[in-house]
Amino acid sequence: MQVILPDKSTRTLPDNPRTIESLLSELGIRSSGVIVARNGVLVPDDAVAGGDDQVRIIRVAHGG
Amino acid sequence: MGAEVRMTDGNPTGHCSFCREPAVILDRGQRLCAGHLVAEVENRVRKDISEKGMVAPGDRLAVALSGGKDSTALLLVLSRLLPEGQDVTLTAITIDEGIAGYREETLHAAEKLTKELGITHRVLSFACIFGKPLDALVAGQQERGCTICGVLRRKALEEGAREIGATKLVTGHNADDEAQSVLMNLLRGDLTRLIQDSSSGDPEPFVPRIKPLAGITEKEVLAYLFIRGFYTDLPECPYAQPALRSEIREMLAGLEDRHPGTREALLQSRDVLRAHVALPPHGQLRACRECGGLSSGEICRACQILRSMGS
Repeated sequence: MQVILPDKSTRTLPDNPRTIESLLSELGIRSSGVIVARNGVLVPDDAVAGGDDQVRIIRVAHGG
Repeated sequence: MGAEVRMTDGNPTGHCSFCREPAVILDRGQRLCAGHLVAEVENRVRKDISEKGMVAPGDRLAVALSGGKDSTALLLVLSRLLPEGQDVTLTAITIDEGIAGYREETLHAAEKLTKELGITHRVLSFACIFGKPLDALVAGQQERGCTICGVLRRKALEEGAREIGATKLVTGHNADDEAQSVLMNLLRGDLTRLIQDSSSGDPEPFVPRIKPLAGITEKEVLAYLFIRGFYTDLPECPYAQPALRSEIREMLAGLEDRHPGTREALLQSRDVLRAHVALPPHGQLRACRECGGLSSGEICRACQILRSMGS
């Protein structure tokens, strides 16, 4: 599973399925500050990602 | 794998709580699809505008548009919700603070959005109003950049609103911003700003400020923009990090995750205070002795800052 982090860097994680909530926790990212797209589509925190999914974590840019 | 239905909670279908579309967000205990999230956000803003009497027939609204996520969502929502036939006009005002490598991109986003929505757009710069861009104003004291910028930008927006004869200044503060402000005002001991409701326009002749997104969380704003196709990956302001607000934002986000409802409780506390605490006359906002702007003391913070910089 490929994960695009808020700073736009990419990480490849093991393929085992896990919820978005678990994934965020594993990465040390707070759910309240981000939205998550799985394969380009927004998904709730209890959706599951794994396999060859691409998960993009989008964080709010502050300032301005 | 993405095409499969894969949810883990009590809703085995992963559908929206209100229809058969796939859910995109868990929001306030409800599972919402894209369409229902957009409707939920717009309905809540509409209700807030109506219940608080934010907009009246004949209003000329100056919308503070930075080009960032909140103000973009604000303009999108307002352009959809404003009552037709009530002669309410929208003008977007963008302040170009003069932050190299940052503001150019958001300014471009603001220009593109207003053009697309057919909304009049005015740009005012720190260089014109205060004589120097922010980068020059804070040279050697970058750690104060965010604080200084916030104060001067508010002043610049007031000037812009007055210039176009606006009856209200509309800002994109969301529920998270508002909760952060409550805590910041408490920590600074600024009871006046904690309690005074700037939507009243008191003391005259200040332009009332309204915040239609104050009931919408940061996450909801972001999801709304993403769904409507207006999410743009904009840079982080270079002055954003060292400010007190950043620390409070982090702290409150952590509290909200561990203790859901913290944000709402803070906002309710402020509302209770506003309803029950009357400021003595000397504690209320008044006209700055130097510039006539809104101030909690004899001299407003903008004038204090400019004076300390020799401007």
